Amino acid sequence: MITFASFPAAPAHDGYDGARRYPDGEDGMEVDFDDDDMGASGRKLTSPGEVLTSSQAFMRGHGTFVDNEEVIASVTGVIERVNKLISVRAIRTRYNAEVGDLVVGRITEVQPRRWKVDANSRQDAVLMLSSVNLPGGVQRRKVESDELQMRTFFEEGDLLVAEVQAFFADGALSLHTRSLKYGKLRNGQLVTVPPVLIRRLKSHFVSLPCGVDLILGLNGYIWVSKLTKASEQEGEEGFDAEAVYSNKNDDIDDATRAAVSRVSNIIRVLAAHFVPLTDTVLLDAYEWVIEQESDIKDLLQPEIGEALVTAISAQRQ
Amino acid sequence: MANLTSISKSEKSYIQTALEAVPPLREDGRALYDFRAVLLATGVAPLANGSARINIGKNPEEGAGGTEILAATKLEVETVDSGDGVDGGRIVCTVTCSPAAYPLLSMNALDELQYDYTTTLHQVLSHPSLHPRNLGILPRKKSWLLNLDLVVLSDAGNVYDAMFMAARAALWDTKVPITRAVQYTAKKSSSSKPVDEKMDTDESSSGFDTRQIPSAQDFDLPDYWDEGEVLGGRELWPLAVTLNIHSSVHFLDATSKEEAAAPLKMMAAFAFPSTSSPTIQAVRLLGPGELQHARLQTLLSEAERFGQEMYDALEIKLRDEDFRRNHKARNRFAQR
Repeated sequence: MITFASFPAAPAHDGYDGARRYPDGEDGMEVDFDDDDMGASGRKLTSPGEVLTSSQAFMRGHGTFVDNEEVIASVTGVIERVNKLISVRAIRTRYNAEVGDLVVGRITEVQPRRWKVDANSRQDAVLMLSSVNLPGGVQRRKVESDELQMRTFFEEGDLLVAEVQAFFADGALSLHTRSLKYGKLRNGQLVTVPPVLIRRLKSHFVSLPCGVDLILGLNGYIWVSKLTKASEQEGEEGFDAEAVYSNKNDDIDDATRAAVSRVSNIIRVLAAHFVPLTDTVLLDAYEWVIEQESDIKDLLQPEIGEALVTAISAQRQ
Repeated sequence: MANLTSISKSEKSYIQTALEAVPPLREDGRALYDFRAVLLATGVAPLANGSARINIGKNPEEGAGGTEILAATKLEVETVDSGDGVDGGRIVCTVTCSPAAYPLLSMNALDELQYDYTTTLHQVLSHPSLHPRNLGILPRKKSWLLNLDLVVLSDAGNVYDAMFMAARAALWDTKVPITRAVQYTAKKSSSSKPVDEKMDTDESSSGFDTRQIPSAQDFDLPDYWDEGEVLGGRELWPLAVTLNIHSSVHFLDATSKEEAAAPLKMMAAFAFPSTSSPTIQAVRLLGPGELQHARLQTLLSEAERFGQEMYDALEIKLRDEDFRRNHKARNRFAQR
């Protein structure tokens, strides 16, 4: 089945409308920073080149530049102000990491004593051989044989979940997987969303009642997989290198596969409508979809996606 | 061709097992022969003679995503006797891949990839059986060179199908300017006679002498209500169907991940003449996998069936687009 549709119409630009939207900055204070509730004004989106304020009264931060003594936005995003520092947080951007973030990444390269990991950041992240759990106990010296068989742990293309440990001098991330929660990913599929949509949660490991596990990486990579039962999780004592670094999937029944696909499509729809993702949003969305009893692929149709987002945002308020 | 996206072994086996299951399931819940949503617009480049933009798999709400290809045609006049021109005109196709579409590829790898795409598209579209009849201007003197340029703006799988759809839409949209032959004839007036006798001592040496050659030398563009006439035989431009083959199943419109998981792709291009049955214009097997020869015949007939569906859907869309643009142009004219 193939159907053709038109591109969504661009918003009609009237020359006069455009002129009105950028008020001439004679007072240089288009953004009303004086009222204290940033709620209303903070939600306003900037466009690149938009004059924010005077550079004499404020300092420029990330996402802005100064020209003609005016602070000008260089990206589309939301304005943030800390005292006199004005910055713009871009809505479409690479992942800006912080130490302690949980990320999902893909190995791109195997190098001496380290792996390069694509984590949707500006540079590839680095996973040192010394920051992974190796077979034979957590406290163990790395030996030369480990270096020679690095590909038995992670090889190119492998997906892993890790935590941001530190930054290098050039801004690249250093990751670690020294916990039994972290490591290689199997039994599922990856969905990519813009990183700003991932809210910081108490736990980024979410289990949905439909037998689906989610790992919401803060870098916008979301791993949707079959539920791992708590009893089957590799315990701290019996660290089983075979299981942790295995490439083989478990047997997955069709219902679970369907649920994984359904959850992936829900995430895609929510991301397309720019809805921030949390565990509760995903749960509500899944329940709504089950109530509708629609087919998995129907979710990607614009009308159903629209209805889903409307239903979700109605519940939020 | 190397796999453009790398996926882990477990992802690969997850996709493959789901394909083998009964009923088969794909990662976004599509059936095997379902396409993602295809967005198409023609006439997107104002300076081109014909253009189209296509996107496979983009959510209309979203700013990005999907396989996006821009195609545009430009006509150029060539001289046949002294230049590169060929009598009756010729077609040159070029595919460029934006580095933004393949951020992980090196410049050399990108060049190779776009060379692959260019060769495939050019070989299929410049085949004599598809040649439009109205690309000639003056026999043995001037002809049109039809440049078809495609840009792959982003790749989310199934580039070949998208490329041929975009090419077909752009060629469908192409308007060839109407030309009128101009012939220089010598004036036979009595007033010039005395000058002739004085100046033209050696008649044959004059380069501007056109009296000896009976046929037209040049052409001009008459005023016409439209940009020109459509390319001859524009119904014939082929469409490609890519079957992704994994063991005993095959599926259409693979995402990049599914492409990486399927070891073999069969691309077949079909033309659909209105009077006779579809003709195969090209077949390519891509990838390291193997295929039993006996299976090829069934796969080809399957591909032909899908191609016919694709053709019918695209035909409706292209006529819609023509109507929409005429309507828009008329409205704009009325507002003046």
